[in-house]
Amino acid sequence: MYNVILIDDETLARQLVESKLRDHKEFNIVAQCSDGFEGFKAIQEHKPDLIFLDVQMPKLNGFEMLELIEDDVHVIFTTAFDEYAMKAFEAQAVDYLLKPIKKERFDKAIEKFKQQQNTSAPAKTFSEEVYEGYQHRIVVKDNGMIRIIPAGDILYIEANDDYIKIFTEAGYFMKKSTLKRIEKAFDPKLFVRVHRSYIVPVNQIIRIEPYEKDSHIALLKNNNKVPVSKSGMEKLKSQLNW
Amino acid sequence: MSIANKYITWLLQVLGVLVSLGQFALLYFLFDIDAISAAIDSAISVITFFITIWGVTQSIRLYPTRVGLTFYSLFIALFFSIVMVYTSSIMLNLWFSYNVAYSDFIQESLPIRYVIAWLLFSWYATYTALTKNIISQEKKFKQQADTSTLLKEAELFKLRQQLQPHFLYNSLNSISALTAVAPERAQEMVEQLSDFLRSSVKREATESIPLEEELAFLRSYLAIETIRFGDRLNVIFENKTNNNSSMPPFLLQPIMENAIKFGLYGTTGKVNITIQIEELDELLLFTIRNPYDPDSTQPRGTGFGLNGIQRRLNLLYARNDLLSTFKDSDTFTTVLKIPQEHV
Repeated sequence: MYNVILIDDETLARQLVESKLRDHKEFNIVAQCSDGFEGFKAIQEHKPDLIFLDVQMPKLNGFEMLELIEDDVHVIFTTAFDEYAMKAFEAQAVDYLLKPIKKERFDKAIEKFKQQQNTSAPAKTFSEEVYEGYQHRIVVKDNGMIRIIPAGDILYIEANDDYIKIFTEAGYFMKKSTLKRIEKAFDPKLFVRVHRSYIVPVNQIIRIEPYEKDSHIALLKNNNKVPVSKSGMEKLKSQLNW
Repeated sequence: MSIANKYITWLLQVLGVLVSLGQFALLYFLFDIDAISAAIDSAISVITFFITIWGVTQSIRLYPTRVGLTFYSLFIALFFSIVMVYTSSIMLNLWFSYNVAYSDFIQESLPIRYVIAWLLFSWYATYTALTKNIISQEKKFKQQADTSTLLKEAELFKLRQQLQPHFLYNSLNSISALTAVAPERAQEMVEQLSDFLRSSVKREATESIPLEEELAFLRSYLAIETIRFGDRLNVIFENKTNNNSSMPPFLLQPIMENAIKFGLYGTTGKVNITIQIEELDELLLFTIRNPYDPDSTQPRGTGFGLNGIQRRLNLLYARNDLLSTFKDSDTFTTVLKIPQEHV
């Protein structure tokens, strides 16, 4: 028996998946959610084997919700986005279903999931390139709550082992992610990786001073200081047309 | 036109040389003037001719008034022929000051010099004026052609907006679900979707339609969205007009789609969207309000629909103050103004 959660803001869309799942007796729907917050809670609570996930949803979209989930999770995306956008996350999902969902295609996705279960293939983690444009905010967990940080509130981001520390005026927030991922997700004109362990929003920089040989230090608003490596300096120069 | 311009410049040069040669021949053979004096006379004449012709060209190019073009060019010709003959006579008198006989000859020949200059200038001035006229008309024509191309483009753009595949696919998905859970409502939704599609391809984007018709189109769109989003979506109409107004079609639906996207994806729970319609002076005024959450930034693609509307309004009314948006802490307001022609 597999436990399933359906996450879609349209009731009818969930009902469609529900009706199609009736042909597959070994699947049991444990929860239905209409937004990313609910979905996040339900996944923590039920630890499902599989989720059906819509991308565009209220408050928290499907990708942002997945970022918050640290356990491995099997996902089948259901969305009306065209293939162009779908390609981006094709590699990471069990499968993706384009709305309107076709029966044949649905059964194939279920088959694929079952095969992966039998070969005990690990669930893929959702780490890279799931966005078609640049991100304008970042979602973190804060004492079990979900917090949305607009890009404009970020002072700087520091790498910390498997985690990143996002510094804001309200303190810092930890998130399981990498600077490489953040670097890709945000507009490089606004966020620059100035150092192996630091990403800085360009508009936070007040000035840059030489530090040691080949390295600099960036003075930020709020009296923060961040080291700038040689290659970081070059990136800054090319971004800011110095 | 540039070919004709080149042609006239070339022709003028030939003409100038011919006239001066003619003048030389006339002076030398008919009036028995010595070759050097004849050559100097015609050289001075041709130099002043070219300088004043340049003046004529500039004056015609600057043609400022709404005075009849022919009248204006004849006036210019008159003025510049006097200028030319006067300057050339001064120069000739200076040159030939030692030769009293020749000075007298110049004085006597002034009327005939004037007539020749006047004829040449009148021809040239009217010719240039007409050419200028044709060029400006061609420009106008081209502008009109460009405008109609833009309109067509806008129409295509609108159609793409109208038949947003995203909206269509989601609706089809809902229908698919309804056939399983509530077949009788599936039928209803198919009917509504086909109503919507029919009216979206039926009309030209340029014509003006009664307000009522546009509202009917909007309602058929909303009927579909209401089925999709169920109880979450509630749209309140406040129509304070007497329905005599008219407007270009398809303006309201993209605005409403934007409001729904903003409202539904920005917040959880029930979403109330109000649309207020009033007549104000010579304007039809729409105010659309939807809730939004300032913390969660807008979903991707928002505003795109509004840009399309802005562009169409600009094409139709040559104004870009007809669509505006305002935000406060929890409400997003879109205001659309449609100038009324019948008032």
